[in-house]
Amino acid sequence: MRNAREKNPLAGGLLAILLLGAAGPGGAEAPFVRNGEAGFVVSFIEYGLSGDAQETGACPAGMTRNLPEIYAMTPQGKRREGESDEAYMDRLREAAGRLGTSPDGRDLCMHPEAGEPDPWFRTVEGSDMPVYGIDLDGEVSDNDFPGMSGGTGIDNQWYRVVGCSRSYQPAGQSNGFNIAMLTGSWGILVRLRGVDDIRNDDHVEVGLYANADPISLSPARKPLGYATYAAEPDPRFHATTTGRIEEGVLTTVPVDAMFRNEVNSMYLDRPLRDARLHMTLSENGLMEGYLAGYTPVEDMYNMQYGYRNGMTHAGELAPLGLRSGSANGAAFVLGHTCHGAYHALQQHADGHPDPDSGKYTAISTQYHIRAIPAFIVAGAGISPNPAQPTREEAGR
Amino acid sequence: MRAHAKLVNVHRGLPAPSALCALALFALLAAAVTGCTDRGEPVLREPDPVGGPTLLRRLTQSQYRATVADIFGTDVPVVARFERGLRSHGLIAVGTGEAGISAFSIEQYDAAAQGVADAILGEEQRAEFVPCQPRSTTAFDTECAGAFMGQYGPLLFRRPLTNEQTQRYLEAARLGTEKLGGFYEGLKYALVGMMTSPQFLLRIERAQPDPQRPELLQLDPYSKAARLSYFLTDSTPDRELLRAAGAGELDSADSLARQVDRLLASPRFEGALRAFFGDMLEFDLFDDLAKDSEIYPAFNSDVAADAKEQTLRDIVHHLVEQNGDYRDLFTLDQTFMTRPLGIIYRQPVPARHDWERVQLSHDGSRLGIQSHVSFLALHAHPGRSSPTLRGKAIRNVFLCQEVPDPPANVDFSVVQDPSNTYMPTARDRLGAHNTEPACSGCHKVMDPVGLALENYDGLGHFRARENDAVIDSSGFLDGTAYEDAAGLAAALRNHPETSRCVVEKIYRFAVGRDTVWDERAYMDYLIAAFAESGYRVPELMRAIALSDNFMAISPPDQTPVGQGLAHNQSDGRNPS
Repeated sequence: MRNAREKNPLAGGLLAILLLGAAGPGGAEAPFVRNGEAGFVVSFIEYGLSGDAQETGACPAGMTRNLPEIYAMTPQGKRREGESDEAYMDRLREAAGRLGTSPDGRDLCMHPEAGEPDPWFRTVEGSDMPVYGIDLDGEVSDNDFPGMSGGTGIDNQWYRVVGCSRSYQPAGQSNGFNIAMLTGSWGILVRLRGVDDIRNDDHVEVGLYANADPISLSPARKPLGYATYAAEPDPRFHATTTGRIEEGVLTTVPVDAMFRNEVNSMYLDRPLRDARLHMTLSENGLMEGYLAGYTPVEDMYNMQYGYRNGMTHAGELAPLGLRSGSANGAAFVLGHTCHGAYHALQQHADGHPDPDSGKYTAISTQYHIRAIPAFIVAGAGISPNPAQPTREEAGR
Repeated sequence: MRAHAKLVNVHRGLPAPSALCALALFALLAAAVTGCTDRGEPVLREPDPVGGPTLLRRLTQSQYRATVADIFGTDVPVVARFERGLRSHGLIAVGTGEAGISAFSIEQYDAAAQGVADAILGEEQRAEFVPCQPRSTTAFDTECAGAFMGQYGPLLFRRPLTNEQTQRYLEAARLGTEKLGGFYEGLKYALVGMMTSPQFLLRIERAQPDPQRPELLQLDPYSKAARLSYFLTDSTPDRELLRAAGAGELDSADSLARQVDRLLASPRFEGALRAFFGDMLEFDLFDDLAKDSEIYPAFNSDVAADAKEQTLRDIVHHLVEQNGDYRDLFTLDQTFMTRPLGIIYRQPVPARHDWERVQLSHDGSRLGIQSHVSFLALHAHPGRSSPTLRGKAIRNVFLCQEVPDPPANVDFSVVQDPSNTYMPTARDRLGAHNTEPACSGCHKVMDPVGLALENYDGLGHFRARENDAVIDSSGFLDGTAYEDAAGLAAALRNHPETSRCVVEKIYRFAVGRDTVWDERAYMDYLIAAFAESGYRVPELMRAIALSDNFMAISPPDQTPVGQGLAHNQSDGRNPS
């Protein structure tokens, strides 16, 4: 049912209570729905990709390599007789520094466009291995994949880019940003309003927000349900849309959304254009499925590889040394080249064509997420009630 | 409209009763009302004092900390692990007069005193605390050390130091200076000695003759000051109270009333309320509270601390700031909450780091302090709820009704299996358990009360079902039937023992001992006064503090002991 609160869904009643669960068919409200509202905090997130490349055979030409590995395959990069481990490593690092610099002396992580496409940056060439995700465009094209649980037309070009990178394999480091979320550096909130029935409702209002509070965890570091969170006050991090629930599955109308990301104490945006939810609601308020859409390739490069626009906590551009050092360090540790990643992203972009050139500017991205009940409040955690003594003031 | 009675002390004149007064008197408790004012108002008259023994009462942890804070400042650290208090007759405050002091405690007291001495006599702070400059920092200065003793000795010992005491601690300071090589080191040595002496660690009451009642004694002025101060502030007498004691003003009714009113108006009064209710509610048990983190992942040390603070905040807010009826504590529908608590109550808490005043539940189903996490979690098992423990606690804590411990040979296997699908709810399991004759008597008293709280699990989360079976939370309390926890709240609020119990416990807390049979008339007087005040706890505490019974001491050979009181034995509701 449509809800009158249209303009600023967070500003209205300060206490925008989000809860999950709703009324059973024709019954009372589910315990996680109050007055038609249900709030959730994302408790788990990862890129929806596929199985391990060694098992799926997705990378017959081998895996992506980093600069020292590339150099080591050249005649000059072979280990010399009697060369110590330390000396050889120094030589590899020195060579990597050279290979990571453009002819005009620019750092290729900060200026990946100055480099040539990297033939050693392997991508998934085939389209027959099942992947996680949903169909974003309603079409089945050559680049689409079959779904992990059936179906076709899954738009997941981000998997194509990273599917042959060792850090994006199921046990790899790059898809572990869920850990960063659990440390409290960023988070995602979802609010439903106008929920009449958690099984079937032809119209609900949906809000997607960046979480301004760290997620509440148990001593075993498991996210706790029914915690209170403030939505990020910056309206850039508010996205509202509508959706419907059919047989317990929530689907939403695409909307441009923005979340936060943090790497090495640098704050970055995590945008998702045409973001939509495809989530299964359970009676106890758990929600699981996909948050999917198109990530602008420049932003994806910044988020995952280059950190070119990383900001400090004070909102200033982070020091170049931190940005460059983090990007080059990540390339070395995670096993890729910055310019290789950049060109692969450009090559496999599949959304939001530039109106002038027709070149795609965004890449289909699937986030596999789980969410649990939460209360969402506006005002960045500022109480509407008279101030109460703090814990310290309460003590004697 | 309630008849308005006036409290007077029996020794301050008995007005002539009028006809109206006589009618009003009839309507009030006969045991407590025996006169009227000259305006015809019925008068609650305090019965003749009975008196109890003088006591040696060990400072509780909160009293120790508050005492140090009041003497030296709140920023002076007290670093020690205090020994667990002995609970006697429902209160640690009573146990303070019965427990000994172990060698471990002495070590901890010594450590705490060393920490205080280091804090106030360290190089940076000493100028603030020592009222003089010694002639040399490496030699003993009798005059300066004496000034320090004179400033802090009476505050620490709660009475002026005798000459012998002064000389003893001056000698300690002198010896410390010589052995440790510095004047301030010597002062530290003496201060630690004072803070580990019985005069500081124990409230040593002394009696003197009562000129108005030759058959009784009364506390001496400084003992009166200490009893008043720890009762009304949970801390040491301040300089003004010690001055009044020294001037003999506490023997004067008017002067005593001024001091009592001053203490009641002090911010420190909140400390007394917190101390009493924390004691009554057995919050010392939080030190041992553990929950299975797999079953109750929301429980942690922050939640435990906040749960205690939540209840105490509600009590102080309701009784002091709102001047509320004590009985309404059991039906409060609002509370203070933090975000960690909000997870358990499933209530939104907008304030990020502060306390927030919110509804206790979104649907009004949860009412009163007995529905707080502090009560529900404390009186449950680590991995499951316990109608029996909760029922027993409500009987013991709020109604002063004793329930005996179970016999040693009971088979608990049925009730200890919460996953039993054949008996999915605690009511089912207890029903099976209670077929044992040895158990059924007490369970009939405890379980109908505790089962009303079965909609709350072992931590305090609301739940409608257990093992997929709908929970039946109906029950009855001493003749009052109810359907759910809200019904229990109302029954508890309106139970006559609820108000009687808190009166008796507050008096026990005040005098540090159990009440005795001969004090039953005085108890009835206090209970009537409490009712007449609209069940206002601060007024009850004022009435106690101003009563002759509060300060009366029985001669050593006439101290009534071991008789237990009064209303428990007379009401016929004692489940034991």
